[in-house]
Amino acid sequence: MPVLSPYRVLDLTTERGLLCGQLLGDMGADVVKVEPPGGSSARNIGPFFNDQPHPDRSLYWWAYNRSKRSITLDIEHELGRNIFRKLVERADFLIESNSPGYLAERGLGFSELSAINPRLIYASITPFGQDGPKASYADSDLIIMAASGPLILAGDEDRPPVRLTVPQAYLHACADAGVAMLAANHERTRSGLGQYIDVAAQQSVGMATQAYILAAALGSTEARRMAGGIKFGPLDIQLVWPAKDGYVAMTMLFGSALGVFTRRFMHYLCERGFCDQATRDKDWIQYGELLFNGTEPLSEFERIKEIARTFTRSHTKNELLQLSVEHGLLITPVTTIDEVVDSPQLESRNYFQSIDHPELGASFRYPGAFVKFGATPIKYRMRPPTVGEHNREIYESELGMNASETSELKRKGII
Amino acid sequence: MADTRPLSDVKILDFMWVMAGPASTRILADYGATVVRIESPTRIDTARTLQPFHGNTLGPDSSGLFANCNAGKFGISIDLANPASRDVVFDLVRWADVVTESFSPKAMRAWGYDYEAFRKVKPDIIMLSSCLMGQTGPLSKIAGFGNMAAAISGFHNLTGWADRPPAGPFGAYTDYVAPRFTAMALIAALDHRRRTGEGQYIDQSQAECAIHFLGPAILDYTVNGRVAGRHGNADFDFAPHGVYPAAGEDRWVAIACRTDDDWRRLCSAMRRDDLSRDARYSSAAQRREHSAALDSAIAAWSKTHDPIEAETILQARGVPAYQVQNSAEAYRDPQLIHRRHFVDVEHPTLGKFTVEAPRAKLSRTPAEVRSAAPTLGQHNQYVLEEILKYDDARITELASAGVLG
Repeated sequence: MPVLSPYRVLDLTTERGLLCGQLLGDMGADVVKVEPPGGSSARNIGPFFNDQPHPDRSLYWWAYNRSKRSITLDIEHELGRNIFRKLVERADFLIESNSPGYLAERGLGFSELSAINPRLIYASITPFGQDGPKASYADSDLIIMAASGPLILAGDEDRPPVRLTVPQAYLHACADAGVAMLAANHERTRSGLGQYIDVAAQQSVGMATQAYILAAALGSTEARRMAGGIKFGPLDIQLVWPAKDGYVAMTMLFGSALGVFTRRFMHYLCERGFCDQATRDKDWIQYGELLFNGTEPLSEFERIKEIARTFTRSHTKNELLQLSVEHGLLITPVTTIDEVVDSPQLESRNYFQSIDHPELGASFRYPGAFVKFGATPIKYRMRPPTVGEHNREIYESELGMNASETSELKRKGII
Repeated sequence: MADTRPLSDVKILDFMWVMAGPASTRILADYGATVVRIESPTRIDTARTLQPFHGNTLGPDSSGLFANCNAGKFGISIDLANPASRDVVFDLVRWADVVTESFSPKAMRAWGYDYEAFRKVKPDIIMLSSCLMGQTGPLSKIAGFGNMAAAISGFHNLTGWADRPPAGPFGAYTDYVAPRFTAMALIAALDHRRRTGEGQYIDQSQAECAIHFLGPAILDYTVNGRVAGRHGNADFDFAPHGVYPAAGEDRWVAIACRTDDDWRRLCSAMRRDDLSRDARYSSAAQRREHSAALDSAIAAWSKTHDPIEAETILQARGVPAYQVQNSAEAYRDPQLIHRRHFVDVEHPTLGKFTVEAPRAKLSRTPAEVRSAAPTLGQHNQYVLEEILKYDDARITELASAGVLG
């Protein structure tokens, strides 16, 4: 039995909150995506299957709506809201990502719905949270990245800070919401009561600063961005290095933990003839302090980085990966998406999962189980739904409407 | 008063270290779980050596990263290589609901601390192993950090400028993504155990979790055969969309126009209605095509404003904009202050220590961070005496056997 199979989730999210329900659905929850008639606006976001814009062919939609059923329902209309309230009666969770106050103004806020179903766990995912001076700010992925701290730390120093090309901010918030909902569910098994969960993407993305969002509060120096690395005070720390056929990530740092790896790496370089013994035998544990207090000149650090660069440049990404595995070095390739999908490591773990799209007569590979549960493995049951695909199933089989009632609702544009 | 936090009845024995693992049990500790974290007295947790430092001073307890990942936990220092530590470990397993570890796959097995061994003493134990690439496969033995897992799962190549080498996202990116998946998997497994009485083993690859954050790019390849590249701050749908210079040294404002209305409002805010009338800029696709000219027009305006001023002017008209904040600006940000994002806890040796708030606000049983990260071995006595109910003689024996750090 999938791990969350007893639970029903109503997913009212906009394009900001889609991942959350998918994660619960992947774990077996019955997730019902409630879309406005005509379909969610997220279905207009590309890229598209064969580059054909179509509500059922958005790969953005596909990426975040697997393991859900879809119904269409107009909650702008009182008739639609009444049907929604019926669904709430038997739901365990509700997720939404509308602007603060939007659902409450329509009588579908937490207090109204928990009066119908006191067990309901109701999670809201918003850019800045439900309250505060900027709660109603206009937003996008880039705006959240700017507001939360990771943006200023990434990019080339002679150009503006730069974001990840695939939008990330709301995904962090979706994952935090998923954890919070399951924690609230755990509590509900004791109290029998639901509650309201307020997740702000701005706060969630703070996690993506590796605690650098705390630098000022702690009285620490700010880090500064640098292409493929980071600047700490006078030090240029390189983290992306050139290979013969692309780039690799390599950690060459100091201190009582990381210096041990650098010592191992320098021994390896010396054996291979890339550096002399005097260079090999520097104090890699204390090396950072020696640079900071000027005992070791920065030019010497630059010389050592050039030695490391000469080494990485003399091998392909794959050769460096093999050396990393064999010798315990801290190197991995900077991969392109095709290399990710065709990775032997992921292949050996049966990671990518094919899902049938019978409506297109084809099947496509999706990112696989996010963890391997020993007793309750994640198995994908459903491809992302087409618009209102499960209307009949839910309105007729479950809510007991007859065909004439549903066609009446359809005529009125409610479903 | 009883602890009403959601996970106040959950007990976790935590062998994890550095960032991805400890950040996940920090989340669970905020929700009320009792987390006993084992540290090696001889091999320092890498996170303790990483910036930013409290008071800008390197010290075993001064890492803000360590503090942020371990607040609210109990810390016990045990030499796992010492055979006399085995009984303590197994007693802790008997106490725990959940065991977590994030060593490279062979390490726990070498100590004899794998799921099978733990299950013998605690049949319904839930155990989760988290490492870069998972417990199996040709790369399972790769040890390392989240920047390496991020590079190998595609994140680095998608961050930066098309005409330059990849810049990469800041830091150990998969260490930010994986902890939420860890926490979700564990709470879900606890629910399964509650219903069925069955524990289980969970194998987490930090790379495999993180790939879920690249979904559309993965599908664009598996469906369309297209390999995504990096495009600076350009967006596929929104234009203009970028980070623009503001007045001052290295100061920036992010601006995103999601719709034609956003664009017209931006022009009006800049007093450049001529641009919104310009036929070259009438659709997002056209604005993207002429982005060079457009970006310099926006930069000419933004350069004359302080970043906060630009943000305020644009947001007053509903145009998405924000100053690109460093930590000092984030610490003063009225929204983050209102949300109480920065929480001060009292550290036993360093005094006030600021950490990030819990990751969601629950209305009835809120999460809470109740103490600072432990110093090395801070709770040895507490754990042995109060949790394991060892008597003084037993504790002295362990200390003289060199088990405790």
